[in-house]
Amino acid sequence: MSESAGTATQTPGPSGQGDPPKLGNIIKLAFRTLPYLRGTWRDILRLAAVALPFILLAIPVTMLSTDLVVNRLLRGEPVTSIEATLLMLDPAQFVDVEKLTVESRQILRGRMVLFAVVSTVIGTPIFLGVVFYFLRLIQRINQSLRMHMMAQVQAMSMRHHASTRVGESIYHAYQDSSMVANLMFMLIRPIPSMIRAVWLVFFVYLLDWQLTAMLGALYVLAFLLARWFGARLRVEFRKAREANTRLTARIQETMAGIKVVKAFGIEAEEQGHFDRHSRDAFHSAYRARSLLAAYGIVSFIFSAIPPLAAACYLAVYANEGRELVAGAALAFTGFAVWNLGAYSYAMGRMNSAAGAVRGLMGMWGVTQDMTVGMERAFSQVDLKPEVQNADDAVAFPGLQDEVTFENVSFAYQPERPVLQNVELAAKAGTITALVGPTGSGKSTLVSLLLRLFDPDEGRIRVDGKDIRGFTLESLRDNISIALQENLLFGTSIRENIRYAVPEASDETVRDAARVACADEYIMEQPEGYDTPLGERGTKLSTGQRQRLSIARAVIKDTPVLILDEPTASLDADTELRVLQNLSEWGKGRAIFIITHRLSTIRQADHIVYLRDGKVEEQGSHDALMVREGGAYRRFVELEEGSREEQPAAAASPALGAVGGAK
Amino acid sequence: MSDVKDGVLDAPVERTPPISNREAARLMLRSFEYLGPLKGQMTVKIGFQILAMLPLIVLPWPTKMLIDHVIQGLAVADLPYSYPFFVAPLAEAILGMSPTGMAIFVGSFLSGMLLLIGAWGMSGRDQTFANVAQGTDEASRSENHANQAFSYMGGILGLIDYRWTLRLTHNLNHHYRSKLFGRMQRLPMTSLDDQRIGDSVYRVMYDTSAITEVCYRLVLTPITAPLHVALVVWVIYLSYGDQPVVIWTALSIVPAALMITFPFSGALRRRMQAARDTGSETTTTIEESINNILAVQSLGGQDREKKRFDDDSWRSFAEWRKLAVLWILMIVLAGLAAAAVGLFVVYELTDKIFTGEMTVGDLTVLMAYYLQIGFSATNAGRLWVYLQGRVIGLRRAFDLMDAEIDHQPEIAKPLKDVREGYVFEDVSFNYPDGTPAMKNVSLEAKRGTLVALAGPAGAGKTTLAYMLPRFITPASGRSTIDGNDIMLLDRQDLRDRIAFVFQEPALFDATVGENIRVGKPDATDEEVQRAAEVAGAAEFIRHLPEGYDTPLGRNGGRLSVGQKQRLSIARALVRDAPVLILDEPTAALDPETEFRLVAALREASKDKLVVVIAHRLSTIRHADQIIFLQEGEIRERGSHEELMQREGGAYRRFVELQRGGGGVR
Repeated sequence: MSESAGTATQTPGPSGQGDPPKLGNIIKLAFRTLPYLRGTWRDILRLAAVALPFILLAIPVTMLSTDLVVNRLLRGEPVTSIEATLLMLDPAQFVDVEKLTVESRQILRGRMVLFAVVSTVIGTPIFLGVVFYFLRLIQRINQSLRMHMMAQVQAMSMRHHASTRVGESIYHAYQDSSMVANLMFMLIRPIPSMIRAVWLVFFVYLLDWQLTAMLGALYVLAFLLARWFGARLRVEFRKAREANTRLTARIQETMAGIKVVKAFGIEAEEQGHFDRHSRDAFHSAYRARSLLAAYGIVSFIFSAIPPLAAACYLAVYANEGRELVAGAALAFTGFAVWNLGAYSYAMGRMNSAAGAVRGLMGMWGVTQDMTVGMERAFSQVDLKPEVQNADDAVAFPGLQDEVTFENVSFAYQPERPVLQNVELAAKAGTITALVGPTGSGKSTLVSLLLRLFDPDEGRIRVDGKDIRGFTLESLRDNISIALQENLLFGTSIRENIRYAVPEASDETVRDAARVACADEYIMEQPEGYDTPLGERGTKLSTGQRQRLSIARAVIKDTPVLILDEPTASLDADTELRVLQNLSEWGKGRAIFIITHRLSTIRQADHIVYLRDGKVEEQGSHDALMVREGGAYRRFVELEEGSREEQPAAAASPALGAVGGAK
Repeated sequence: MSDVKDGVLDAPVERTPPISNREAARLMLRSFEYLGPLKGQMTVKIGFQILAMLPLIVLPWPTKMLIDHVIQGLAVADLPYSYPFFVAPLAEAILGMSPTGMAIFVGSFLSGMLLLIGAWGMSGRDQTFANVAQGTDEASRSENHANQAFSYMGGILGLIDYRWTLRLTHNLNHHYRSKLFGRMQRLPMTSLDDQRIGDSVYRVMYDTSAITEVCYRLVLTPITAPLHVALVVWVIYLSYGDQPVVIWTALSIVPAALMITFPFSGALRRRMQAARDTGSETTTTIEESINNILAVQSLGGQDREKKRFDDDSWRSFAEWRKLAVLWILMIVLAGLAAAAVGLFVVYELTDKIFTGEMTVGDLTVLMAYYLQIGFSATNAGRLWVYLQGRVIGLRRAFDLMDAEIDHQPEIAKPLKDVREGYVFEDVSFNYPDGTPAMKNVSLEAKRGTLVALAGPAGAGKTTLAYMLPRFITPASGRSTIDGNDIMLLDRQDLRDRIAFVFQEPALFDATVGENIRVGKPDATDEEVQRAAEVAGAAEFIRHLPEGYDTPLGRNGGRLSVGQKQRLSIARALVRDAPVLILDEPTAALDPETEFRLVAALREASKDKLVVVIAHRLSTIRHADQIIFLQEGEIRERGSHEELMQREGGAYRRFVELQRGGGGVR
């Protein structure tokens, strides 16, 4: 069973199952983030412009201060003339002596402390400014990404949402955007490290050629290590992610079916499943993380070898006072020969280079898991909205005569058709009732009219024109719908009613509410029309919410009105009143009502009886009722309870058998 | 609090009222409750942590040897301070060696250390952790938290330590998850109706890691950090005891580090909470607009929704930025303080070097030790701030642990069969918010009858049905089965006697057959097929590619609503329990199937108690007893014929309107 679950929840991706994404793909992915940096290049350059002078200045400053502290201050050697000029020291006392006196060393110390304090005072605000600027920049990129994905999710056809869970959509828009932002960050962050690593490999040549050789060897080794580990890390992290997905799916499923679990007392079994999946998830996480940890350790050890070796042999050089490669050129800093200061300085560079390599390797390791998620993030960005405006789309001109469905077929998933060859015509000024068992395709049929998706086959016409020729906006502006699920927003009642027509006056709102018979109960609310509604309007009863969504549809004042089981939760009296109001209001409009209720159906001029996505019968109530053995007639009879005798006898043995199976 | 609207409280991730320091401490301590079985593993981890301190104490000395003896060419005997006892063997070994020899010897020793613990000098010390960068949102951060482990070492020992720790946190985490999942399954039906699935997943997957982490860190750091500081101070005293300034500098690092981190804790916590709240508002916005996508698209609200999201999201970023500024400020201040200490030390100690009282090597040793003290002290100081970030998750997890669960009496009475049936006397029930859902309901439902619950939506039909298997417990009144108080019966026994079909069919990711067998795990193939036959499911199952062995996918993805409903009816039928309850079972059925099902139910009711909730007349009218509910009260009861004879009766009116005969047009 876990096998089948595994394939079902497999992360979709171009590279397929188990096959780790290749190095090249990752780099390709990384470059795909570049377009999101558009508009930020200037900021990045600005940052670089601020940072660069400091970086360049840092080289001589570090050299000089290392020399000053180690060689002059600690060892008491005389100061070079350049250093003396810079620190405004008296050459007689500091340069032209055999050894610095304790007193001059104290003066030098005072200058050095002063220098440290001044540079901190100047440097800290600049550093903070750069950090803050960078933070804002990253957030701005992230924000634009989020907006992009949100728009994407919204524009996606309903078919996509029918197959993707709501939670997943949120996950996409929210998490993936930060994933892309992160990758972008990952793309930017190594750049300084890389520059540092490359720069240092040449720079240390000035000190000692063997340092360059060691660093060069380290880089090659690091690259090979990263490649070897990278592939393995990707496999392990993919496995871990899948195990985690399975576990999440398990919890979701149990919670979705919790009523059944409780009613049938199978909590223990579910707990068993959960424990197994949880252990699996932890087991794969353990493997993946251990490997990542091992990678970190190995890369640390390898990157530590060059500095460690340098520490030992440079110490011997210093002991011998051997000359530096570029000793003559560096004499102004006091680094003509190897001494404690040059040693400290060289060790600082070696550690810096090793640190850069370590940092790059670390980033590489950490990024491996992201590549798995990245594929999905970009797949989200790439999805094209299925329903789009035609190039030559025109505005919806209004309804004169009729809406027709011609041979319309549709399926969410190819293997399960929802509508098959539907033919129907709805005239302006009439009410069309769509009737049939749950799941027979009634709601889908009206969604097609709204172009929430387009039919796979056939066409829908308004006054003979294919609705695909109209712009989406104008089409939807001319159709209002009161939905089966009464979705309300967390604002006031008034705002909810005029959601589609924000500029509607309070009086118009109230008129619409009256048509929907909602005015009375709204006025009974503590703040009337200004009463706030909680998420999904939790404070209202189902019937009240239904009336609100009818009012919302009515206020749009459109030629086509769709009511999707709008009255299911209304009591019979209210329903009757709402329907009477609607047929009064609906003159000259085409109204579609999806309903189960006989009393509602009887109000319709035209009845379409659907079953398994096919139109089984259509016509007026009276016309359909004369058909002997017709599906609609059977439905009505059963509903009225006026037919009962003979099938009962036919069915009874079957259950008798079940009952007798004790 | 008064400005918090209901809507916000309904949000999946709640806006959290501030948590006081005291409550935070209480919650944290509580996470120890479950540490019990892992005490041994925890002790070993503490052992590792202590073991890691020893090499750290030794490490500064070989570097000093390189500086003093190799570079500066000082003889061991010339040193103002001799080596402490634990490096003495090393010092003796290099006695009399040439500089090159010494360099090679010290180098090999350091290589060994590098391999063993991943550290060789002051600038290179490895720490092992393996966090991944999955994104900056809460969930993926929690993912890292759930796999939280670290070692203060690298190298071989570091890997062993890391793996051990990861096992430990995983064990802890699994333990908590499992526990929370179990609790969640036992929540009473009413609270499950409110609870969102996503929310439960979040709690089980991520909030539990808060417990793990708090518990794990709260055990480790307070033990190891002071120990480390004490050890280092002792070693400094051992070597440089005659220099008071050296000692008291070491001692003053701890309060300095704490003074910088502590005042920030309150502000940080408040900012953190504000940032989280705006973050969850953003999530709510996007969730709302995706949930309502149909309404949004059909009402042309995309642009407005986008704008709303845009604003919320940017506001959330602004809050995070404020938090980041505070963090950076804290880090910079800590850095400045460290620099000040460094300057001070250099200032004080250089005098000793000028006068020859100390060598440059001694200075590097002391600096290394001071850094270690600062590191441990800051770690301990930040612990509180850090853990506060996890307190919210902690509370959410504990709230669930404490939530009321399904009633089970202490001494449960077994229930082997239902012979007579149910009797309710004056039973009432209130919704969690206090509004009454059922008022003084009295009824009798005998085995061998078909009882229909009818009435408008919201009348309390489902509530009444939920009381039969004790999914919910009444606020007052008495309900009995065969004279036994329901509240005293064993939960499992009670539910084993009942088969329940819910309004929304829920299927599991298993085969058709397995889904039916949920009702009776040991049912034979024949029983399963017969149940499917009666439920009207047999035909479509035959057309499935693998028949009863066809896997259904997540929540029966491949089936239509009607098919799912039929399967869930078959599941209840195969259970063959004395009580069968169906909540609107026929809504998604076509007339023919419905008719056959109703007939079957009538047949079944000869031997069982069948309770049906229905809107459709065709289902209701055959009942032996119709209970007509309105606003949580029983308005009328009796057979269809009896009730229809009542002139102006509520049921009669209901029926007439259903038929559309009530003077329409």
